[in-house]
Amino acid sequence: MNHSKPLVGVGLAVVAALALTGCSGSSTGDDEATGADAAKLESLSIMAPFLSTNAPEEDNEIETALEDVIGVDLDMTWVPNASYGDKVNITLAGDDLPQVMVIQGKDPGFVRNAEAGAFWDLTEYLDDYENLETTFPEVQRASSVNGKVYGVFRARDVMREAVIIRKDWLENVGLELPETTEDLYEIAKAFTEDDPDGNGADDTYGLIIPKWPGTIGTNSPWDAIETWYGAGTRWTERDDELVPNFTTDEWLEAVQFERQLVEEGVVNPDYATFDSAKWNEPFLTGKGGIIIDVHSRVGQLISLVKQSDPENFENFVDVTGNLTGPDGELYALPTSGYSGFLAVPKAQVRTEAELRGVLEVLNELNSAEAGPILNNGIEDLTYTLDGDLAVAVDDAPQALKDTVGAYAQLGMNVNGFQGYLPKQPSDYEQEMYDKRKQIEASDLESAQFDPAAPYVSPTYVSKGAQLDTIVADARIQYIAGQIDLDGLEDAIALWRSSGGDDIIAEINELADADS
Amino acid sequence: MAMLDTAVTATETLTVQKQSRRRRGVRVQFTQFKWLYLLLVPGIVYFLLFRYWPMYGAIIAFKDYVPFLGIADSPWVGFAHFEDFFASPDFPRLLGNTIILALLSLLIAFPLTIIVALLLNEMRVTILKRTTQTLIYVPHFLSWTVVASLTYLLFALDIGPLFQLVNGVLGTDINFLADPAWFRPIIVLQDIWKNTGWGTIIFLAALAGVDQAQYEAAIIDGAGRFQRVWHITIPSIMPTIIVMLVLQMGQILNTGFEQIYLMTNSLNRSVADVFDTYVYFMGITQGSYSYSTAVGLFKAVVGVVLIFGANWVAKRFNQVGIF
Repeated sequence: MNHSKPLVGVGLAVVAALALTGCSGSSTGDDEATGADAAKLESLSIMAPFLSTNAPEEDNEIETALEDVIGVDLDMTWVPNASYGDKVNITLAGDDLPQVMVIQGKDPGFVRNAEAGAFWDLTEYLDDYENLETTFPEVQRASSVNGKVYGVFRARDVMREAVIIRKDWLENVGLELPETTEDLYEIAKAFTEDDPDGNGADDTYGLIIPKWPGTIGTNSPWDAIETWYGAGTRWTERDDELVPNFTTDEWLEAVQFERQLVEEGVVNPDYATFDSAKWNEPFLTGKGGIIIDVHSRVGQLISLVKQSDPENFENFVDVTGNLTGPDGELYALPTSGYSGFLAVPKAQVRTEAELRGVLEVLNELNSAEAGPILNNGIEDLTYTLDGDLAVAVDDAPQALKDTVGAYAQLGMNVNGFQGYLPKQPSDYEQEMYDKRKQIEASDLESAQFDPAAPYVSPTYVSKGAQLDTIVADARIQYIAGQIDLDGLEDAIALWRSSGGDDIIAEINELADADS
Repeated sequence: MAMLDTAVTATETLTVQKQSRRRRGVRVQFTQFKWLYLLLVPGIVYFLLFRYWPMYGAIIAFKDYVPFLGIADSPWVGFAHFEDFFASPDFPRLLGNTIILALLSLLIAFPLTIIVALLLNEMRVTILKRTTQTLIYVPHFLSWTVVASLTYLLFALDIGPLFQLVNGVLGTDINFLADPAWFRPIIVLQDIWKNTGWGTIIFLAALAGVDQAQYEAAIIDGAGRFQRVWHITIPSIMPTIIVMLVLQMGQILNTGFEQIYLMTNSLNRSVADVFDTYVYFMGITQGSYSYSTAVGLFKAVVGVVLIFGANWVAKRFNQVGIF
């Protein structure tokens, strides 16, 4: 029965192909339009993910406000974030493509379609638009496929990695915030063995690590530790050659450290199955005391503690940034600086004039007028202004708050954040917020950027998914003690022989051609 | 009902008349029974549209399919995807995992269904029999997502009741959810829990059709209960068992996507990856449509070969096949 599923999808694709040809026949067909003219759009259809439980309703306040600013009707297709990647691959094989699609990353499916010409190459177009010409060209390059920009990237903070620690536990065991990975180990051990909650029972552990949905190099806590050890981020340069970080000695050393953490019981024992959606729980209920994740989780945790304990919530959470590795250097783990991009499928936007029309709307969407709507919502309804900081309106309906969150997915901010930064509800929270921003700024100086980010090798497109899984699974198996160091090295050798060596050669060729 | 009766009578008439009128050709027959043929049209349309037409798409297994180019314009690559698949290190692992899970289900879950049906059949107190039947049907109506969540709750590390019970009694410290050695037993247990009750239905129906006079005769001859089961019941339902077995053979590579997918994690993937999850992962998640179609097609072909093979074997042993 199951085998019929892809076939059905393919069947739909047949219908799609027919419909496409039909479409091209009926469209204006004015292919000879000169580059400068832009078709005036009546409406713009966009497919985007949403992260809350319910999708925004049609014609909601946010959409209406946006339409007033950008001057066209928005026709939104919202897809739950968890299945967004699947939905993109299915939609691309269908006939009902939107004019603009949020693409969450350069996965093989996207690259294959892009290289076959399914999306407009925007490299030469973006600089013609005031709000789309980025002030972060290196991020735009990182989001490109070998230099071809297929979408307007959605900017994200470059430095987000943080070590979040139970402040009260730290005081109870008499230790300071960690500065090095060695400190991290000692604190985790003390949290496990020295009864940090003082209840006399052996019921705590140090690090809380969840089952990670991505494979290797996806900013998991394990990836963070490996970067701190000096292995680089995903790819790194060794002897003038770009290599994946897991082929370095530093990486092997880091993974041995990770195995030691697990062996000594300072990590939650269900790290391979623990649901990342429940990550806060062991921290709040006093089972575990350290989370390695993004800075914004600090704010989340503080407001959760505040709800249950408004009196003492200030003594609960502390945070520090990236940790110094064993060689005494700080190697900070950056994000890629973007979270996917807004791409324009050629199936719906067939002429250059139409493309110009779409880009004009995106330009408006990235303007200083639209920015606050996307990032903050509507003044007096979801936020009020205090100076240039936004104060959230607490009693705004949850549905409206979720709607703001969903439209934030359309925010590009390619030339700087276009909204108002949030004002924290209390002095303590403001202080913690400023502290986080300060840490982010200082860590940024030591960021280990992925030197191979813009390059996509053909072998990776055809086999990358299987290859990534080989190393990611072997890493967890090694950490869990299912295989030994030889087994891990065998897995890396298997990665090499199954196509990894080709990827390294191709990436270096692309990099050489580029420089 | 009235329409159904007419249809049945008409069919009977058809059979009778078929012999006498064969020579008069299809056309006469068609005009005579045109309304009956009209009733057939929706069924034919359904099969053509939803079962046969999509099969056209299977040709992408031999092409390098890119949605933007469409099926017709994507370049042909011949058997390249099949070669890649058979040469990849994934293939032996997937084949092994799939076959082991299928055999476990065939050797444990399938006979168990028959045994449970026999046991139910021997129950004397009707109310108890009916209640038991209903109760063991219930799990069938739960989705795999619910079954997987229940399993996670029951076997959760340190806090799951079954985790505590089993490890407490045996004095071990087994992480059932992550230990690769426990993946298959858990899958088979889930399968038994969810499907055994439902699977008995068809055997119970077969059991109801066994000639009661044979039992009476056997009792008079002094046969005990086990002798009656062995010499009357089992031979009577043998055709049903064979048909079910042949159908099962066709399903052997369909290990069930949802169940496996939900129970997989990084630590047990080496034993958990099967064709179905692989097709999903490569096709939907990674967008390798052609490659995953090739894998799916391979699986379908093996299924067809097995079903014909099993049917042939069944006929060799003088049993009723399915065709």
